[in-house]
Amino acid sequence: MRLRAEPASRLGPVVWKLMRLQLRISISGFRHARPRQKLGTIVLVVVVLALLVGAFLASAALLRFLRSPELAADIPVAGLIAVVPSLVLTSAFLAILLTGLGVLLQGLYLARDMEFLLSAPVPIRAVFISKMLQAILPNFGLTALFGLPVLFGLGASQGYRLLFYPLVVLVLVALALAAGGLSSLVVMGVVHVVPARRVAEVLAFVGAVLSLLCSQSGPLASRLMFASGQASQALALAARFNSPWSPLAWAGRGLIDLGQGEWLPAAGYLLLSLGLCSVVFLLALSSVERLYYSGWAGIQAGTRAKRPALVAHRASLSTPASPKRELALLPSPIRAILVKDFLVLRRDLRNMGQLVTPLIIGIVYAVMLVSNGGKIAPEVIPAPAWAVQATQNVWLYGNVGISLFVGWVLVSRLALMGISQEGRSYWLLKSSPLTPSRLLVAKFLVAYLPTLALGEGFLLVVSLVQRAGAGTVLFGALVVGLCLAGDSGLALALGVAGANLNWEDSRHMMSGTQGCLSTFSSFAYMLVALGLFFAPPVLLPLLGVSQTAGQVLGLLLGGAVAITCAVVPLVLVLPRVPLIGEA
Amino acid sequence: MPLERALIRTDHLVKNFGDKSAVRDVSLTVQGGEIFGFLGPNGAGKTTTIKMIVGLLRPTTGWVEVAGHDVQREMRLAKAACGYVPDEPNLYLKLSARELLRFVADLYEVDRAQVEHRIEELLRLFDLSEAADDLIDSYSHGMRQKTALAVALVHDPKVLVLDEPTVGLDPKSARLIKDILRQLAERGAAIFLSTHILEIAERMCDRIGIINRGELVAVGTMGELRALGAGTSSLEDIFLNLTGGAEYAEIAEVLR
Repeated sequence: MRLRAEPASRLGPVVWKLMRLQLRISISGFRHARPRQKLGTIVLVVVVLALLVGAFLASAALLRFLRSPELAADIPVAGLIAVVPSLVLTSAFLAILLTGLGVLLQGLYLARDMEFLLSAPVPIRAVFISKMLQAILPNFGLTALFGLPVLFGLGASQGYRLLFYPLVVLVLVALALAAGGLSSLVVMGVVHVVPARRVAEVLAFVGAVLSLLCSQSGPLASRLMFASGQASQALALAARFNSPWSPLAWAGRGLIDLGQGEWLPAAGYLLLSLGLCSVVFLLALSSVERLYYSGWAGIQAGTRAKRPALVAHRASLSTPASPKRELALLPSPIRAILVKDFLVLRRDLRNMGQLVTPLIIGIVYAVMLVSNGGKIAPEVIPAPAWAVQATQNVWLYGNVGISLFVGWVLVSRLALMGISQEGRSYWLLKSSPLTPSRLLVAKFLVAYLPTLALGEGFLLVVSLVQRAGAGTVLFGALVVGLCLAGDSGLALALGVAGANLNWEDSRHMMSGTQGCLSTFSSFAYMLVALGLFFAPPVLLPLLGVSQTAGQVLGLLLGGAVAITCAVVPLVLVLPRVPLIGEA
Repeated sequence: MPLERALIRTDHLVKNFGDKSAVRDVSLTVQGGEIFGFLGPNGAGKTTTIKMIVGLLRPTTGWVEVAGHDVQREMRLAKAACGYVPDEPNLYLKLSARELLRFVADLYEVDRAQVEHRIEELLRLFDLSEAADDLIDSYSHGMRQKTALAVALVHDPKVLVLDEPTVGLDPKSARLIKDILRQLAERGAAIFLSTHILEIAERMCDRIGIINRGELVAVGTMGELRALGAGTSSLEDIFLNLTGGAEYAEIAEVLR
């Protein structure tokens, strides 16, 4: 479908009207929020402003320090400083481009006000621009929050001319619009091929995996011990960002030239950069009628993409009419919930993003442990022999620690959100003749079985690599099994107490308070249980008692606590189950 | 033809949300073989009453019996006898219709030997066979509504409770549902149906209950309601008289 292009003179006021409407909704939301939420927002704003000032002062001080003559003798400071604007602007552009994909997808295609907006006598371009601005504004704010203080700090430390500062803001805005435009073009193009919801799931999955990999890259990198030469290679790589052939470097180079009063190259670079940004933004704008409207209309038409016969066949195989032998022992309602939950968790990539977390963490820490060979170098600990022996005994069970950590992360997702993940479909369970106890047993198994498999799998692999003894492996397996059972019971009970069925995005199903409470209680439980499991086998050999006797005593003490935690919290929350979804 | 066996009974049913009273003292009975229409303006308490009947909400006071079982005390037996179609078909989007029906059949512990045959029958009946292995995520609103109906019927319930079942359905599907409800009633099931379409209530229902501001203001056959309406013959007039909507006719007159 092709619509008549609206004159630009009419576009501005309509965009402004739509933006004002959004602002009014935000202000109204703040005014009607609970006092606690209002206070939280005010504190957040103050903290952000403080961060802004702090970042500015720190950048200025750091860049002044880099100019000191003593340092300049060893490091090519001028080259390093010249790279800073290009690095900051490139990072800002890429950050807005990548984060914009998910936010724009949500804003342009999955927002609930689209039917209202597109049926109103408002130009579609205006809807598009206002939606794009709403989507990129938070990310622009964030990048400006970190980028502006650095660039202003650079200007202050280098004594750049005053014109430098407004142009920094102008360039950042232009880059943000270009990144937003490019993101929207990608999103509009992809949605023509793949359903918007599926794209949102894939983006959430990729985002979760990438952010986790980034968070774990520090410990892994330090364990793999990068050579010092690689650091200078990284610096050289950063310098490449400033190549005159890279369009992303033009703005940075222009700003540096401008600050230093070299007007001609500054004008050339800045005009090139701003011109390119305008072209990208206008291209996105001109594609709106063709790509955006038809893509959105396609979603509304509810055109079902036919699954290939093979996939459909596989789907029917995954839930066989005759249940697997091991599941057939369970009552059919419990079995049904197990099969349903595993199918739903597997198929929703947003869930998968959360579920791969323990796998990645497990692999990272297993690499760290294995790279140590499961031994402590004697020279590392200058301590008495008994202390070294005790530490060596503890280290022997490092594999158990990793397996439990991996399981603990998975339990946090599966058990804590076991009820909440039902969302608005919970009526299907609640209106059925499913008893509260059966529901809890099913949800316990949904959380415990995969966690147990993963935890024991990690234990086995790490133990094999470490060549641990059979007795130690058996002891470890029992500890992992019992500990995770206790943690599953505890987390599921908390999940029942704080069940939230009213969510749109699965990432919002758990409140921050619930997460904190769960982490705290789970940590306290693990501390006590592991203390009881491991104290006897670690300490008794120091008194001359055999390690096996210590392990048996540990299993009895720790096992009692674990089983208590697996059962008692669930019994306590059982009367609350019929009340879930009543609010 | 209604049977002399009450399959739904509510007794002095009250539901309060904080200091707001959503349902006040609702007592009604639906016999086996009867289609009971439940009418009322928006926010009158229809959905709240329905949710108490199917066990989704606990009454503040009063009680509900389904198929002779107290919904709170004998929850399992009462719910096993009941099928429910909500006003919004919120289903598991990452399951196919076939998987969802299998899941619900297992929840209701339907005999495994019959499950597959029953599922195929329902899929065919609701014209969902072709899309049976597609994820519900890709279904239109009407298809989801039909899937919700199939879900409610998979365990062959004695009592069927439907909240606005024809919303979003095409005329063919709406007709199919009316036929199915009539057949179920003829087989002795009790049908409790809330609707805003008065024509459906007038033509399909054996008895009609009208709720307004949480109170049941009238119950009876069309003939009994006409007698109550003092001369008004259509259900629309009776409804508007009882629920205070008659004054809107004046507004319509002004707008004309």
